[in-house]
Amino acid sequence: MDFILEGFAKAVFLLISLDASTVTAISATLKASTWAMAASLAAGLPLGFLLGYFDFPGKRPLRTLVDTLLALPTVSIGLIIYALISSQGPLGEFGLLFTITGIAMGQTLLALPVIIAITAATVENIDPDLKLTLVSLGAAKLDIIRTCLWEVRYGIMAGAVTAYGRVLTEVGISMMVGGNIKYHTRTITTAIALETSKGQFADGIALGLVLIFIAFCVNICLSVLRKK
Amino acid sequence: MTRTQPAYLLENVTHFYGDKKVLDIAHLAIAKGSITGLLGPNGSGKSTLLKLLAFAMRPAFGKIFFNGRREYPFSPNIRSRVTLVTQKPYLLRRTVYENIAYGLQIRRDTADLQARISRALSRVGLAYEGFAHRQWHALSGGEAQRVAMAARLILKPKVLLLDEPVASVDARSAALIRQAALAARENWDTTLVIASHDLAWLFDCSDNQISISNGTLFSTGLEIIIPGPYTTGRQGLTKTLEDGRFIVLPPATRSGKTAVIQREKILLAADPQKDNGYDNQIKAQVQSMHMTGKQQEIMTTIAVPEMTFLLGLDPELTGSLSLQPGKEVFLMFRSQDIVWR
Repeated sequence: MDFILEGFAKAVFLLISLDASTVTAISATLKASTWAMAASLAAGLPLGFLLGYFDFPGKRPLRTLVDTLLALPTVSIGLIIYALISSQGPLGEFGLLFTITGIAMGQTLLALPVIIAITAATVENIDPDLKLTLVSLGAAKLDIIRTCLWEVRYGIMAGAVTAYGRVLTEVGISMMVGGNIKYHTRTITTAIALETSKGQFADGIALGLVLIFIAFCVNICLSVLRKK
Repeated sequence: MTRTQPAYLLENVTHFYGDKKVLDIAHLAIAKGSITGLLGPNGSGKSTLLKLLAFAMRPAFGKIFFNGRREYPFSPNIRSRVTLVTQKPYLLRRTVYENIAYGLQIRRDTADLQARISRALSRVGLAYEGFAHRQWHALSGGEAQRVAMAARLILKPKVLLLDEPVASVDARSAALIRQAALAARENWDTTLVIASHDLAWLFDCSDNQISISNGTLFSTGLEIIIPGPYTTGRQGLTKTLEDGRFIVLPPATRSGKTAVIQREKILLAADPQKDNGYDNQIKAQVQSMHMTGKQQEIMTTIAVPEMTFLLGLDPELTGSLSLQPGKEVFLMFRSQDIVWR
Protein backbone atom coordinates (compact mmCIF):
# COMPACT_ATOMS: atom_id res chain seq x y z
CA MET A 1 0.00 0.00 0.00
CA ASP A 2 2.90 2.31 0.83
CA PHE A 3 4.25 2.20 -2.69
CA ILE A 4 0.97 3.66 -3.99
CA LEU A 5 1.13 6.58 -1.52
CA GLU A 6 4.77 7.11 -2.35
CA GLY A 7 3.80 7.03 -5.99
CA PHE A 8 1.27 9.82 -5.42
CA ALA A 9 3.83 11.94 -3.59
CA LYS A 10 6.42 11.45 -6.32
CA ALA A 11 3.80 12.14 -8.95
CA VAL A 12 3.11 15.57 -7.46
CA PHE A 13 6.86 16.26 -7.36
CA LEU A 14 7.34 15.23 -11.02
CA LEU A 15 4.55 17.51 -12.10
CA ILE A 16 5.64 20.49 -10.03
CA SER A 17 9.29 20.15 -11.07
CA LEU A 18 8.27 19.85 -14.75
CA ASP A 19 10.26 16.66 -15.20
CA ALA A 20 11.46 16.54 -18.82
CA SER A 21 10.29 13.01 -19.65
CA THR A 22 6.88 13.67 -18.10
CA VAL A 23 6.45 16.97 -19.91
CA THR A 24 7.46 15.52 -23.31
CA ALA A 25 5.03 12.61 -22.87
CA ILE A 26 2.24 15.06 -22.07
CA SER A 27 3.22 17.22 -25.03
CA ALA A 28 3.31 14.25 -27.44
CA THR A 29 -0.09 13.08 -26.24
CA LEU A 30 -1.68 16.52 -26.63
CA LYS A 31 -0.14 17.06 -30.07
CA ALA A 32 -1.21 13.69 -31.46
CA SER A 33 -4.68 13.77 -29.97
CA THR A 34 -5.33 17.37 -31.07
CA TRP A 35 -4.34 16.62 -34.67
CA ALA A 36 -6.37 13.40 -34.60
CA MET A 37 -9.47 15.14 -33.24
CA ALA A 38 -9.19 18.02 -35.70
CA ALA A 39 -8.91 15.63 -38.65
CA SER A 40 -11.63 13.25 -37.48
CA LEU A 41 -14.06 16.12 -36.77
CA ALA A 42 -13.34 17.76 -40.13
CA ALA A 43 -14.07 14.52 -41.98
CA GLY A 44 -16.52 12.90 -39.57
CA LEU A 45 -19.05 15.71 -39.11
CA PRO A 46 -20.01 16.07 -42.78
CA LEU A 47 -19.88 12.30 -43.35
CA GLY A 48 -22.00 11.68 -40.25
CA PHE A 49 -24.47 14.34 -41.37
CA LEU A 50 -24.79 12.81 -44.84
CA LEU A 51 -25.23 9.35 -43.36
CA GLY A 52 -27.86 10.48 -40.85
CA TYR A 53 -29.78 13.01 -42.91
CA PHE A 54 -30.21 11.43 -46.32
CA ASP A 55 -31.78 8.17 -47.39
CA PHE A 56 -29.90 6.35 -50.10
CA PRO A 57 -29.42 2.77 -51.28
CA GLY A 58 -26.91 0.98 -49.08
CA LYS A 59 -27.41 3.29 -46.11
CA ARG A 60 -28.18 0.45 -43.66
CA PRO A 61 -25.12 -1.67 -44.54
CA LEU A 62 -22.98 1.47 -44.31
CA ARG A 63 -24.37 2.24 -40.84
CA THR A 64 -23.63 -1.34 -39.81
CA LEU A 65 -20.07 -1.00 -41.12
CA VAL A 66 -19.52 2.26 -39.20
CA ASP A 67 -20.97 0.72 -36.05
CA THR A 68 -18.66 -2.27 -36.47
CA LEU A 69 -15.66 0.04 -36.81
CA LEU A 70 -16.54 1.48 -33.38
CA ALA A 71 -15.23 -1.72 -31.87
CA LEU A 72 -12.07 -1.86 -34.00
CA PRO A 73 -9.16 -2.79 -31.68
CA THR A 74 -6.43 -0.18 -31.46
CA VAL A 75 -3.76 -2.79 -32.23
CA SER A 76 -5.54 -3.58 -35.51
CA ILE A 77 -5.53 0.10 -36.42
CA GLY A 78 -1.88 0.26 -35.39
CA LEU A 79 -1.15 -2.67 -37.66
CA ILE A 80 -2.95 -1.08 -40.64
CA ILE A 81 -1.22 2.27 -40.20
CA TYR A 82 2.13 0.56 -39.62
CA ALA A 83 1.69 -1.34 -42.89
CA LEU A 84 0.80 1.85 -44.71
CA ILE A 85 3.60 4.06 -43.45
CA SER A 86 6.45 1.63 -42.95
CA SER A 87 9.23 1.86 -45.51
CA GLN A 88 7.67 -0.93 -47.59
CA GLY A 89 4.17 0.58 -47.44
CA PRO A 90 2.53 2.91 -49.97
CA LEU A 91 3.19 5.95 -47.74
CA GLY A 92 6.67 4.82 -46.71
CA GLU A 93 8.42 7.60 -48.60
CA PHE A 94 6.95 10.24 -46.29
CA GLY A 95 8.85 8.94 -43.28
CA LEU A 96 5.84 8.93 -40.96
CA LEU A 97 6.74 5.83 -38.97
CA PHE A 98 7.73 6.59 -35.36
CA THR A 99 6.46 10.16 -35.59
CA ILE A 100 3.71 12.09 -33.86
CA THR A 101 2.04 12.52 -37.27
CA GLY A 102 1.95 8.74 -37.70
CA ILE A 103 0.32 8.35 -34.28
CA ALA A 104 -2.17 11.10 -35.17
CA MET A 105 -3.09 9.26 -38.38
CA GLY A 106 -3.88 6.10 -36.46
CA GLN A 107 -5.82 7.98 -33.82
CA THR A 108 -7.81 9.73 -36.55
CA LEU A 109 -8.83 6.32 -37.83
CA LEU A 110 -9.79 5.41 -34.27
CA ALA A 111 -11.93 8.53 -33.68
CA LEU A 112 -13.50 8.79 -37.11
CA PRO A 113 -16.11 6.00 -36.75
CA VAL A 114 -17.11 7.40 -33.34
CA ILE A 115 -17.65 10.90 -34.76
CA ILE A 116 -19.48 9.57 -37.84
CA ALA A 117 -21.70 7.16 -35.89
CA ILE A 118 -22.67 9.64 -33.17
CA THR A 119 -23.24 12.50 -35.64
CA ALA A 120 -25.38 10.23 -37.84
CA ALA A 121 -27.41 8.98 -34.86
CA THR A 122 -27.87 12.53 -33.55
CA VAL A 123 -28.90 13.85 -36.96
CA GLU A 124 -31.29 10.93 -37.47
CA ASN A 125 -33.01 11.88 -34.25
CA ILE A 126 -33.48 15.51 -35.22
CA ASP A 127 -37.08 16.58 -34.72
CA PRO A 128 -38.72 16.37 -38.17
CA ASP A 129 -40.41 19.68 -37.41
CA LEU A 130 -36.99 21.39 -37.41
CA LYS A 131 -36.54 21.00 -41.17
CA LEU A 132 -40.15 22.02 -41.76
CA THR A 133 -39.60 25.10 -39.60
CA LEU A 134 -36.40 26.04 -41.42
CA VAL A 135 -37.99 25.61 -44.83
CA SER A 136 -40.97 27.69 -43.76
CA LEU A 137 -38.60 30.42 -42.57
CA GLY A 138 -36.99 30.51 -46.01
CA ALA A 139 -33.80 28.55 -45.32
CA ALA A 140 -31.74 27.35 -48.29
CA LYS A 141 -30.22 23.85 -48.30
CA LEU A 142 -26.90 25.02 -46.87
CA ASP A 143 -28.70 27.01 -44.15
CA ILE A 144 -30.59 23.83 -43.22
CA ILE A 145 -27.39 21.78 -42.89
CA ARG A 146 -25.67 24.49 -40.83
CA THR A 147 -28.65 25.08 -38.57
CA CYS A 148 -29.37 21.38 -38.08
CA LEU A 149 -25.76 20.77 -37.00
CA TRP A 150 -25.93 23.76 -34.66
CA GLU A 151 -29.20 22.56 -33.17
CA VAL A 152 -27.72 19.17 -32.30
CA ARG A 153 -24.35 20.56 -31.23
CA TYR A 154 -24.56 19.12 -27.71
CA GLY A 155 -25.12 15.61 -29.03
CA ILE A 156 -22.17 16.03 -31.37
CA MET A 157 -20.03 17.46 -28.58
CA ALA A 158 -20.84 14.35 -26.53
CA GLY A 159 -19.66 12.30 -29.50
CA ALA A 160 -16.46 14.31 -29.74
CA VAL A 161 -15.77 13.81 -26.03
CA THR A 162 -16.32 10.08 -26.40
CA ALA A 163 -13.92 10.01 -29.34
CA TYR A 164 -11.40 12.12 -27.45
CA GLY A 165 -11.61 9.68 -24.56
CA ARG A 166 -10.74 6.79 -26.89
CA VAL A 167 -7.88 8.74 -28.51
CA LEU A 168 -6.43 9.92 -25.23
CA THR A 169 -6.41 6.52 -23.59
CA GLU A 170 -5.35 4.25 -26.43
CA VAL A 171 -2.02 2.41 -26.18
CA GLY A 172 -1.88 0.10 -29.20
CA ILE A 173 -1.52 2.72 -31.94
CA SER A 174 0.95 4.88 -30.02
CA MET A 175 3.06 1.86 -29.16
CA MET A 176 3.12 0.27 -32.64
CA VAL A 177 3.21 3.38 -34.83
CA GLY A 178 5.04 5.72 -32.45
CA GLY A 179 7.53 3.19 -31.14
CA ASN A 180 7.46 4.66 -27.58
CA ILE A 181 10.64 6.71 -28.16
CA LYS A 182 11.58 8.74 -25.09
CA TYR A 183 11.45 12.53 -25.59
CA HIS A 184 9.96 11.99 -29.04
CA THR A 185 6.94 9.73 -29.49
CA ARG A 186 6.42 8.50 -25.95
CA THR A 187 2.85 9.39 -25.00
CA ILE A 188 1.25 9.34 -21.58
CA THR A 189 -0.30 5.91 -22.06
CA THR A 190 2.82 4.22 -23.50
CA ALA A 191 4.87 5.80 -20.72
CA ILE A 192 2.48 4.47 -18.07
CA ALA A 193 2.67 0.99 -19.62
CA LEU A 194 6.47 1.13 -19.69
CA GLU A 195 6.97 2.60 -16.21
CA THR A 196 4.53 0.12 -14.66
CA SER A 197 6.31 -2.79 -16.32
CA LYS A 198 9.56 -1.48 -14.80
CA GLY A 199 7.95 -1.15 -11.36
CA GLN A 200 8.18 2.67 -11.48
CA PHE A 201 4.71 3.33 -10.12
CA ALA A 202 5.33 6.98 -9.29
CA ASP A 203 5.94 7.93 -12.89
CA GLY A 204 2.92 5.88 -13.95
CA ILE A 205 0.68 7.48 -11.35
CA ALA A 206 1.91 10.98 -12.24
CA LEU A 207 1.05 10.48 -15.88
CA GLY A 208 -2.24 8.82 -14.96
CA LEU A 209 -3.15 11.91 -12.92
CA VAL A 210 -2.35 14.10 -15.91
CA LEU A 211 -4.62 11.99 -18.12
CA ILE A 212 -7.47 12.34 -15.65
CA PHE A 213 -6.79 16.08 -15.37
CA ILE A 214 -6.94 16.54 -19.18
CA ALA A 215 -10.23 14.61 -19.38
CA PHE A 216 -11.58 16.72 -16.52
CA CYS A 217 -10.57 19.97 -18.26
CA VAL A 218 -12.22 18.91 -21.53
CA ASN A 219 -15.46 18.14 -19.73
CA ILE A 220 -15.35 21.43 -17.79
CA CYS A 221 -14.90 23.33 -21.08
CA LEU A 222 -17.88 21.52 -22.59
CA SER A 223 -19.98 22.22 -19.55
CA VAL A 224 -19.15 25.94 -19.78
CA LEU A 225 -19.96 25.96 -23.49
CA ARG A 226 -23.32 24.31 -22.82
CA LYS A 227 -24.24 26.99 -20.31
CA LYS A 228 -23.48 29.65 -22.90
CA MET B 1 -49.87 39.94 -62.20
CA THR B 2 -53.61 40.32 -62.02
CA ARG B 3 -55.80 39.97 -59.01
CA THR B 4 -57.80 37.25 -60.76
CA GLN B 5 -54.73 35.02 -61.07
CA PRO B 6 -54.81 32.65 -58.09
CA ALA B 7 -52.04 32.57 -55.53
CA TYR B 8 -52.09 28.77 -55.85
CA LEU B 9 -53.21 26.46 -58.54
CA LEU B 10 -52.93 22.71 -57.99
CA GLU B 11 -53.41 20.43 -60.97
CA ASN B 12 -53.79 16.65 -60.57
CA VAL B 13 -51.74 16.57 -57.40
CA THR B 14 -51.35 13.23 -55.69
CA HIS B 15 -49.06 12.28 -52.86
CA PHE B 16 -48.15 9.01 -51.22
CA TYR B 17 -46.59 7.93 -47.94
CA GLY B 18 -45.12 4.57 -48.90
CA ASP B 19 -47.83 2.82 -50.87
CA LYS B 20 -50.67 4.75 -49.24
CA LYS B 21 -52.21 7.53 -51.25
CA VAL B 22 -52.77 10.40 -48.85
CA LEU B 23 -53.72 13.19 -51.21
CA ASP B 24 -55.59 13.23 -54.48
CA ILE B 25 -56.55 16.68 -55.74
CA ALA B 26 -57.70 17.11 -59.31
CA HIS B 27 -57.92 20.89 -59.14
CA LEU B 28 -57.61 23.52 -56.45
CA ALA B 29 -57.31 27.26 -56.86
CA ILE B 30 -56.71 29.61 -53.94
CA ALA B 31 -57.30 33.27 -54.64
CA LYS B 32 -54.72 35.90 -53.73
CA GLY B 33 -55.45 37.69 -50.49
CA SER B 34 -58.19 35.22 -49.58
CA ILE B 35 -58.69 33.29 -46.37
CA THR B 36 -59.41 29.62 -46.95
CA GLY B 37 -60.61 27.42 -44.14
CA LEU B 38 -59.49 23.80 -44.30
CA LEU B 39 -61.58 21.27 -42.41
CA GLY B 40 -61.28 17.57 -41.94
CA PRO B 41 -60.69 14.87 -39.37
CA ASN B 42 -57.24 13.91 -38.16
CA GLY B 43 -55.38 11.96 -40.80
CA SER B 44 -57.50 13.31 -43.64
CA GLY B 45 -54.56 14.94 -45.43
CA LYS B 46 -54.76 18.54 -44.17
CA SER B 47 -51.18 18.70 -42.94
CA THR B 48 -49.86 17.04 -46.10
CA LEU B 49 -51.70 19.57 -48.23
CA LEU B 50 -50.32 22.45 -46.14
CA LYS B 51 -46.77 21.07 -46.43
CA LEU B 52 -47.17 20.91 -50.20
CA LEU B 53 -48.53 24.46 -50.25
CA ALA B 54 -45.54 25.49 -48.11
CA PHE B 55 -43.23 23.83 -50.67
CA ALA B 56 -41.70 21.86 -47.81
CA MET B 57 -41.93 18.82 -50.09
CA ARG B 58 -42.90 18.12 -53.64
CA PRO B 59 -45.94 16.05 -54.61
CA ALA B 60 -45.44 12.56 -56.00
CA PHE B 61 -47.37 13.62 -59.09
CA GLY B 62 -48.98 16.79 -60.34
CA LYS B 63 -48.15 20.44 -60.57
CA ILE B 64 -48.32 23.29 -58.10
CA PHE B 65 -48.36 26.81 -59.51
CA PHE B 66 -47.63 29.79 -57.30
CA ASN B 67 -48.58 33.19 -58.71
CA GLY B 68 -48.99 31.57 -62.11
CA ARG B 69 -45.57 29.93 -62.14
CA ARG B 70 -44.81 26.27 -61.50
CA GLU B 71 -42.75 26.13 -58.33
CA TYR B 72 -40.66 23.64 -56.40
CA PRO B 73 -39.15 23.42 -52.90
CA PHE B 74 -36.25 25.83 -52.33
CA SER B 75 -37.17 28.00 -55.30
CA PRO B 76 -36.04 31.59 -54.64
CA ASN B 77 -39.52 32.73 -55.71
CA ILE B 78 -41.21 31.11 -52.77
CA ARG B 79 -38.51 31.30 -50.07
CA SER B 80 -39.73 33.54 -47.25
CA ARG B 81 -42.87 34.42 -49.21
CA VAL B 82 -44.69 31.29 -48.15
CA THR B 83 -44.55 30.31 -44.53
CA LEU B 84 -46.18 27.72 -42.33
CA VAL B 85 -47.02 27.61 -38.62
CA THR B 86 -47.66 24.12 -37.28
CA GLN B 87 -49.61 23.01 -34.23
CA LYS B 88 -46.44 22.37 -32.25
CA PRO B 89 -43.88 24.68 -33.79
CA TYR B 90 -40.20 23.94 -33.40
CA LEU B 91 -38.30 26.75 -31.77
CA LEU B 92 -34.57 26.86 -32.41
CA ARG B 93 -32.42 26.21 -29.32
CA ARG B 94 -31.78 29.92 -28.95
CA THR B 95 -33.31 33.03 -27.49
CA VAL B 96 -36.63 34.45 -28.62
CA TYR B 97 -34.72 37.30 -30.31
CA GLU B 98 -32.57 34.86 -32.30
CA ASN B 99 -35.58 32.75 -33.25
CA ILE B 100 -37.43 35.73 -34.67
CA ALA B 101 -34.32 37.15 -36.33
CA TYR B 102 -33.42 33.85 -38.03
CA GLY B 103 -35.59 34.29 -41.14
CA LEU B 104 -34.23 37.77 -41.76
CA GLN B 105 -30.62 36.84 -41.02
CA ILE B 106 -30.55 34.07 -43.62
CA ARG B 107 -31.89 36.62 -46.09
CA ARG B 108 -29.19 39.06 -44.92
CA ASP B 109 -31.92 41.58 -44.23
CA THR B 110 -30.87 42.79 -40.81
CA ALA B 111 -31.47 46.52 -40.98
CA ASP B 112 -33.20 47.94 -37.94
CA LEU B 113 -33.50 44.40 -36.59
CA GLN B 114 -34.28 45.21 -32.97
CA ALA B 115 -37.18 47.51 -33.83
CA ARG B 116 -38.61 44.98 -36.27
CA ILE B 117 -38.37 42.18 -33.71
CA SER B 118 -40.03 44.43 -31.16
CA ARG B 119 -42.90 45.12 -33.59
CA ALA B 120 -43.25 41.41 -34.48
CA LEU B 121 -43.44 40.51 -30.80
CA SER B 122 -46.01 43.20 -30.08
CA ARG B 123 -48.19 41.86 -32.91
CA VAL B 124 -48.59 38.64 -30.93
CA GLY B 125 -48.97 40.38 -27.59
CA LEU B 126 -45.46 39.81 -26.22
CA ALA B 127 -43.33 42.61 -24.80
CA TYR B 128 -39.79 42.93 -26.20
CA GLU B 129 -38.30 43.71 -22.81
CA GLY B 130 -39.83 40.67 -21.14
CA PHE B 131 -39.36 38.09 -23.86
CA ALA B 132 -36.63 38.97 -26.39
CA HIS B 133 -33.79 37.49 -24.38
CA ARG B 134 -35.59 34.50 -22.95
CA GLN B 135 -34.36 31.07 -23.97
CA TRP B 136 -36.66 28.83 -25.98
CA HIS B 137 -37.17 26.49 -23.02
CA ALA B 138 -38.38 29.28 -20.75
CA LEU B 139 -41.64 29.75 -22.67
CA SER B 140 -45.08 28.28 -22.11
CA GLY B 141 -46.79 26.43 -24.98
CA GLY B 142 -48.88 29.47 -25.86
CA GLU B 143 -45.89 31.82 -25.72
CA ALA B 144 -43.84 29.47 -27.91
CA GLN B 145 -46.64 29.39 -30.47
CA ARG B 146 -46.81 33.19 -30.45
CA VAL B 147 -43.02 33.44 -30.89
CA ALA B 148 -43.28 31.05 -33.86
CA MET B 149 -46.01 33.27 -35.28
CA ALA B 150 -43.89 36.40 -34.75
CA ALA B 151 -40.95 34.68 -36.53
CA ARG B 152 -43.21 34.29 -39.58
CA LEU B 153 -44.90 37.68 -39.41
CA ILE B 154 -41.57 39.52 -39.38
CA LEU B 155 -41.04 38.14 -42.92
CA LYS B 156 -44.25 39.87 -44.09
CA PRO B 157 -45.22 36.68 -45.94
CA LYS B 158 -47.33 36.63 -49.08
CA VAL B 159 -48.86 33.37 -47.89
CA LEU B 160 -49.39 32.31 -44.29
CA LEU B 161 -50.35 28.67 -43.79
CA LEU B 162 -51.65 27.77 -40.36
CA ASP B 163 -51.95 24.12 -39.35
CA GLU B 164 -54.10 23.92 -36.23
CA PRO B 165 -52.38 27.00 -34.85
CA VAL B 166 -54.51 27.31 -31.72
CA ALA B 167 -55.23 23.66 -30.96
CA SER B 168 -52.95 23.38 -27.97
CA VAL B 169 -52.67 26.89 -26.57
CA ASP B 170 -54.54 28.86 -23.93
CA ALA B 171 -57.51 31.05 -24.83
CA ARG B 172 -55.57 34.33 -24.68
CA SER B 173 -52.78 33.05 -26.90
CA ALA B 174 -55.37 31.66 -29.32
CA ALA B 175 -57.09 35.04 -29.55
CA LEU B 176 -53.79 36.85 -30.15
CA ILE B 177 -52.68 34.37 -32.81
CA ARG B 178 -56.00 34.69 -34.63
CA GLN B 179 -55.83 38.45 -34.42
CA ALA B 180 -52.26 38.51 -35.76
CA ALA B 181 -53.13 36.16 -38.64
CA LEU B 182 -56.05 38.29 -39.75
CA ALA B 183 -53.98 41.46 -39.40
CA ALA B 184 -51.47 39.97 -41.87
CA ARG B 185 -54.12 40.04 -44.58
CA GLU B 186 -55.13 43.58 -43.71
CA ASN B 187 -51.54 44.84 -43.58
CA TRP B 188 -49.85 42.95 -46.41
CA ASP B 189 -52.70 41.39 -48.37
CA THR B 190 -51.42 38.00 -47.21
CA THR B 191 -53.19 34.89 -48.47
CA LEU B 192 -54.18 32.67 -45.56
CA VAL B 193 -54.96 28.97 -45.51
CA ILE B 194 -56.07 27.85 -42.08
CA ALA B 195 -56.64 24.29 -40.90
CA SER B 196 -58.54 24.27 -37.65
CA HIS B 197 -61.13 22.35 -35.69
CA ASP B 198 -62.46 25.66 -34.42
CA LEU B 199 -65.34 25.81 -36.87
CA ALA B 200 -66.85 28.96 -35.38
CA TRP B 201 -63.64 30.90 -36.03
CA LEU B 202 -63.07 29.34 -39.44
CA PHE B 203 -66.54 30.14 -40.69
CA ASP B 204 -66.36 33.59 -39.23
CA CYS B 205 -63.03 34.64 -40.72
CA SER B 206 -62.66 32.63 -43.93
CA ASP B 207 -63.90 33.58 -47.37
CA ASN B 208 -64.39 29.97 -48.37
CA GLN B 209 -64.04 26.58 -46.78
CA ILE B 210 -62.95 23.25 -48.12
CA SER B 211 -63.22 19.90 -46.45
CA ILE B 212 -60.73 17.14 -46.91
CA SER B 213 -61.41 13.48 -46.36
CA ASN B 214 -59.17 10.58 -47.36
CA GLY B 215 -57.02 13.09 -49.20
CA THR B 216 -59.88 14.29 -51.41
CA LEU B 217 -61.27 17.82 -51.33
CA PHE B 218 -64.94 18.70 -50.96
CA SER B 219 -66.67 22.03 -50.88
CA THR B 220 -67.79 22.39 -47.27
CA GLY B 221 -70.32 25.05 -48.07
CA LEU B 222 -72.33 22.61 -50.14
CA GLU B 223 -71.48 19.07 -49.10
CA ILE B 224 -71.32 16.85 -46.07
CA ILE B 225 -68.84 13.98 -45.98
CA ILE B 226 -69.93 10.68 -44.47
CA PRO B 227 -66.52 9.27 -43.63
CA GLY B 228 -65.64 5.57 -43.83
CA PRO B 229 -65.21 2.82 -42.94
CA TYR B 230 -68.30 1.45 -44.65
CA THR B 231 -69.71 -2.01 -44.05
CA THR B 232 -71.90 -4.36 -46.04
CA GLY B 233 -74.71 -6.07 -44.13
CA ARG B 234 -78.34 -7.06 -44.43
CA GLN B 235 -79.32 -3.47 -45.22
CA GLY B 236 -76.76 -3.26 -47.98
CA LEU B 237 -73.88 -0.84 -47.73
CA THR B 238 -73.97 1.20 -44.52
CA LYS B 239 -71.96 3.53 -42.37
CA THR B 240 -72.25 2.04 -38.89
CA LEU B 241 -72.10 4.59 -36.08
CA GLU B 242 -70.41 3.94 -32.76
CA ASP B 243 -73.68 3.25 -30.95
CA GLY B 244 -74.71 0.59 -33.48
CA ARG B 245 -77.07 2.74 -35.54
CA PHE B 246 -76.30 3.08 -39.20
CA ILE B 247 -76.65 5.30 -42.22
CA VAL B 248 -77.94 3.52 -45.32
CA LEU B 249 -75.76 4.23 -48.33
CA PRO B 250 -76.31 3.68 -52.05
CA PRO B 251 -74.42 0.89 -53.80
CA ALA B 252 -70.74 1.72 -54.19
CA THR B 253 -69.35 2.88 -57.48
CA ARG B 254 -65.94 2.22 -58.93
CA SER B 255 -64.99 5.85 -59.23
CA GLY B 256 -65.76 7.02 -55.70
CA LYS B 257 -64.54 5.98 -52.29
CA THR B 258 -66.12 8.63 -50.07
CA ALA B 259 -69.86 9.03 -49.45
CA VAL B 260 -71.02 12.63 -49.82
CA ILE B 261 -74.39 14.29 -49.58
CA GLN B 262 -75.43 17.77 -50.63
CA ARG B 263 -76.27 19.91 -47.65
CA GLU B 264 -79.58 20.96 -49.20
CA LYS B 265 -80.75 17.33 -49.32
CA ILE B 266 -80.75 17.08 -45.52
CA LEU B 267 -83.88 17.95 -43.59
CA LEU B 268 -84.20 18.65 -39.92
CA ALA B 269 -87.22 17.61 -37.87
CA ALA B 270 -88.13 17.57 -34.23
CA ASP B 271 -89.57 14.02 -34.46
CA PRO B 272 -89.16 11.02 -36.77
CA GLN B 273 -91.60 10.79 -39.64
CA LYS B 274 -93.03 7.67 -41.26
CA ASP B 275 -93.62 6.97 -44.92
CA ASN B 276 -91.99 10.11 -46.21
CA GLY B 277 -89.38 8.28 -48.26
CA TYR B 278 -86.44 9.25 -46.04
CA ASP B 279 -84.72 5.96 -45.26
CA ASN B 280 -82.17 7.72 -43.05
CA GLN B 281 -83.69 9.32 -39.97
CA ILE B 282 -80.89 9.76 -37.49
CA LYS B 283 -81.39 11.08 -34.00
CA ALA B 284 -78.73 13.70 -33.34
CA GLN B 285 -77.87 16.48 -30.95
CA VAL B 286 -77.20 20.14 -31.65
CA GLN B 287 -73.64 20.78 -30.55
CA SER B 288 -73.03 24.41 -31.36
CA MET B 289 -74.61 27.30 -33.20
CA HIS B 290 -73.09 30.52 -34.36
CA MET B 291 -74.12 33.31 -36.65
CA THR B 292 -71.96 33.93 -39.70
CA GLY B 293 -71.77 37.54 -40.70
CA LYS B 294 -71.12 36.74 -44.33
CA GLN B 295 -73.85 34.32 -45.34
CA GLN B 296 -76.53 35.38 -42.87
CA GLU B 297 -76.89 31.77 -41.82
CA ILE B 298 -76.62 30.08 -38.50
CA MET B 299 -73.83 27.55 -38.77
CA THR B 300 -75.10 24.64 -36.72
CA THR B 301 -73.02 21.66 -35.75
CA ILE B 302 -75.20 18.60 -35.25
CA ALA B 303 -73.49 15.56 -33.83
CA VAL B 304 -74.18 11.87 -34.13
CA PRO B 305 -71.71 9.42 -32.65
CA GLU B 306 -68.41 9.59 -34.52
CA MET B 307 -69.34 12.36 -36.96
CA THR B 308 -70.78 15.83 -37.18
CA PHE B 309 -73.01 17.51 -39.72
CA LEU B 310 -72.24 21.17 -40.24
CA LEU B 311 -75.30 22.87 -41.67
CA GLY B 312 -75.92 26.50 -42.52
CA LEU B 313 -79.50 27.00 -41.38
CA ASP B 314 -81.97 29.75 -42.07
CA PRO B 315 -82.58 31.68 -38.82
CA GLU B 316 -86.32 31.16 -39.32
CA LEU B 317 -85.90 27.37 -39.33
CA THR B 318 -83.80 27.38 -36.18
CA GLY B 319 -86.48 29.50 -34.54
CA SER B 320 -89.35 27.24 -35.61
CA LEU B 321 -87.52 24.15 -34.31
CA SER B 322 -86.37 26.02 -31.18
CA LEU B 323 -82.86 24.81 -31.86
CA GLN B 324 -80.26 25.35 -29.19
CA PRO B 325 -77.11 23.48 -28.17
CA GLY B 326 -78.04 20.23 -26.48
CA LYS B 327 -81.42 19.88 -28.20
CA GLU B 328 -82.16 16.58 -29.93
CA VAL B 329 -83.31 16.63 -33.55
CA PHE B 330 -83.69 14.18 -36.40
CA LEU B 331 -81.51 14.41 -39.50
CA MET B 332 -83.43 13.06 -42.46
CA PHE B 333 -82.02 12.24 -45.88
CA ARG B 334 -82.46 9.67 -48.61
CA SER B 335 -79.76 7.13 -49.34
CA GLN B 336 -80.33 7.75 -53.04
CA ASP B 337 -79.22 11.37 -52.54
CA ILE B 338 -75.84 10.21 -51.27
CA VAL B 339 -73.22 10.06 -53.96
CA TRP B 340 -69.80 8.42 -54.15
CA ARG B 341 -66.82 10.63 -54.90
